[in-house]
Amino acid sequence: MKRSLLILAVIAIAAILLGLALDPRSYGVRVLCLILMAAALGQAWNIVGGLANQISLGHAAFFGIGAYTSTVLQVQFELTPWIGMPIGAVLAAVAAGAIALPTMRLKGPYFALATLAFGEICRIGAQAMSGVTGGPQGLSVPFYGDSLAMMQFRQPGAYVPLFAALFFLVSAVFAVMSHGRLGYMLRAVRENEEAAEVTGIDTVRIKLTGAIISAACTALVGGLFAQFTFFIDPDTVFSTTEISIRAALIAIVGGVGLLWGPIVGALFVVLVEEFLNSTLSDALPGISPFLFGVALVVIVIARPEGLVSFRHLVTDRFGKKGKEA
Amino acid sequence: MMIELENVTGGYGHRTIIEGIDLLVAEGETVAILGVNTAGKTTLIRAISGALPHQKGHIRFEGRDISDDPPHARVSSGLACVPEGRHIFPQMSVVENLMVGAYHRRSSALDEDLEAAFTLFPRLKERRRQMAGTLSGGEQQMVSFCRAMMARPKLLLMDEPSHGLAPMMVEEVHSAINDVNSRGIAVLLVEQNVSSALRVASRGYVLDHGRITLEGTAGELADDPFVKKTYLGI
Repeated sequence: MKRSLLILAVIAIAAILLGLALDPRSYGVRVLCLILMAAALGQAWNIVGGLANQISLGHAAFFGIGAYTSTVLQVQFELTPWIGMPIGAVLAAVAAGAIALPTMRLKGPYFALATLAFGEICRIGAQAMSGVTGGPQGLSVPFYGDSLAMMQFRQPGAYVPLFAALFFLVSAVFAVMSHGRLGYMLRAVRENEEAAEVTGIDTVRIKLTGAIISAACTALVGGLFAQFTFFIDPDTVFSTTEISIRAALIAIVGGVGLLWGPIVGALFVVLVEEFLNSTLSDALPGISPFLFGVALVVIVIARPEGLVSFRHLVTDRFGKKGKEA
Repeated sequence: MMIELENVTGGYGHRTIIEGIDLLVAEGETVAILGVNTAGKTTLIRAISGALPHQKGHIRFEGRDISDDPPHARVSSGLACVPEGRHIFPQMSVVENLMVGAYHRRSSALDEDLEAAFTLFPRLKERRRQMAGTLSGGEQQMVSFCRAMMARPKLLLMDEPSHGLAPMMVEEVHSAINDVNSRGIAVLLVEQNVSSALRVASRGYVLDHGRITLEGTAGELADDPFVKKTYLGI
């Protein structure tokens, strides 16, 4: 586990250095931020989707709660996101607990559908509560200029360390969980719930804990997303396709349940998406979601371990021994 | 008294499977529950482990009524279970399976317990890194057995530990039960294989159509004409 944390730290620092090397206003820096954000989002999803193997399609609920909480607190009370984002994480954790209690006995597609519906309820709720959220018109983050205290900057380059830190935080949470007691217990519950229960695991408490941690991490990503884009609306931050499915896609394409899965998945999804948008958006608009759908089907059928399972192609070439299990 | 069942009735929904069960296991004792398929043996074990809560009556563990405790709380009290059909975690290694058995304790003596578990079945130690799902049936039974031992139980419930095993493996599992028993742990054993169960246990109950029809020492049961005729085929 120490080795995993070390590699994660190296990746995060390398991303920060790359951010410094690039022009802070450039397109490249923006893509770098999007990759780090996608990796953090996928990793947060991976806690529930990978370790507990509960395929949630409602993580936009927590992303949106995180984004709206810190933004609303800024608009109404001028509260800094440094405090607003953790509050958003707590609210998302509460929401996750509330939805986990009735849904945790559901399996497979039923769990997916229930969480999907929950995400939609949150989106519609945010549209309806226009007094607080601004409704469908959305909400702008109040502009203070470059201000570390208010976590906002004119240039995307300044966000790279923030996204890198968040990426490291969420990935470290996943690494510690998956190598620790909690991770093993989640895996045991995933493999055989009744056996886990008679082995002494409080399965309800374990599933609840996993759901809450995953939701809190997702909310932090949502909060930083709002700071990065300066504008949020219900259709964006509570989006089923852009957030919920994307979080699952990133983890599954990369390698579900694996620490390196969402990282590889984020690189793949963001880079392919940006490339297609810049080259083919005139001729074939909307081609990237189509391709991701195809990629998802192919990977689930042909390579359930995800793109990470191709790592031996790289390690063999350099004559190194494959990573030990 | 280790465990005491008083007038326990249980089943699935309105369908009663076991009725009016009175049963005792003393400290350090090995007791067998005998019966054919559909007699209600597994329902009885699941009622005691809490996987299928019973509907009427009382279950007392060390004098305390545990009828309302969920399964994991019963494990914490010292009542571990080797479920029927083994129920291991197939995608986890042997060691990981065993560690999970001890996680509810939050203690740090895991390595000692792991060594103690491996003395029961040294073969598992050789396979410690192997995925449990790739082991043979007998080895999976060993994993399930050792996983229950990791909970440091005072009473071990075993549901058909010899089911589907080769005769040599049955011997090995039964000698491990004797070994566990000699460490002072009480065992409540459910078996279809009556002759070997009566060799392991000191006392037994015969379960038929959800009721206890006969009880006695292993010797008495082995000599009983009904048991001889029905279960031993003599």
